[in-house]
Amino acid sequence: MSSLLPPTKKIWWNEPIHKSELLWISLVFVWGLVMTFMMPYWHVVGKQNLGTETYQTTPKAFQTTVQAFVDKYTVRNEGPRNYPVVAPPAGGDVYMLARLWDWWPIIELKKGETYRFHLSSLDWQHGFSLQPANINIQVVPNYEHVFTLTPNAAGEYSVICNEYCGIGHHLMIGKILVVD
Amino acid sequence: MRARDDLSYFKLELHKVKSMSDNDQGDSGQVPMMQKLLDNPFLLLFIGVASPAVLYLGWGIMEIVMIPAR
Repeated sequence: MSSLLPPTKKIWWNEPIHKSELLWISLVFVWGLVMTFMMPYWHVVGKQNLGTETYQTTPKAFQTTVQAFVDKYTVRNEGPRNYPVVAPPAGGDVYMLARLWDWWPIIELKKGETYRFHLSSLDWQHGFSLQPANINIQVVPNYEHVFTLTPNAAGEYSVICNEYCGIGHHLMIGKILVVD
Repeated sequence: MRARDDLSYFKLELHKVKSMSDNDQGDSGQVPMMQKLLDNPFLLLFIGVASPAVLYLGWGIMEIVMIPAR
């Protein structure tokens, strides 16, 4: 009943606080500080810091840029759908587009070299999830997201779409090859 | 003795609390600012809606409209 009734004193603010409540508030406050400062700390010492470099674009403009990139640097074709394998120059720009239900093209990179990746979507929201690295980026139409990547081990890596995008979402797997 | 129903019991308790607070010597003086804030549910509601609206929505939209064109 006491929670339904008004406080017994008109000025209740100065009532002494119970030790257990003070302890609880202190613990919660300290934990809040820990979580708050963990964010900039990990941003500085963490090995994976994706920047926020972003530009406005259009699906048509981005598709034209990607096509020009593919036309210039294709080295061969692969797979049952004859995807172009594109080997950009070291230190250069890499363009990958997301569309229903495709990551295009296949990229071939050199180990130890740094590349600038440009991602955008032609239709709606997709997820760029580079496996097995913990690198995940949301890719949306009309925005070109740019980040820097340096592969440090040779191999074949998958790009999974980790944002549900329709009936073919589970088939939307791209490929990045890293050679020595 | 007449049995009391819930409403009568509530009225009796409310009367007791009112008399206690009327007689309390420590009730003189200005109400502290924090108490004024916490005693005002509509002000708290406004702060609870306005803070995330400004800090998340407003700030987020400002950042998005500032993205440069290619």
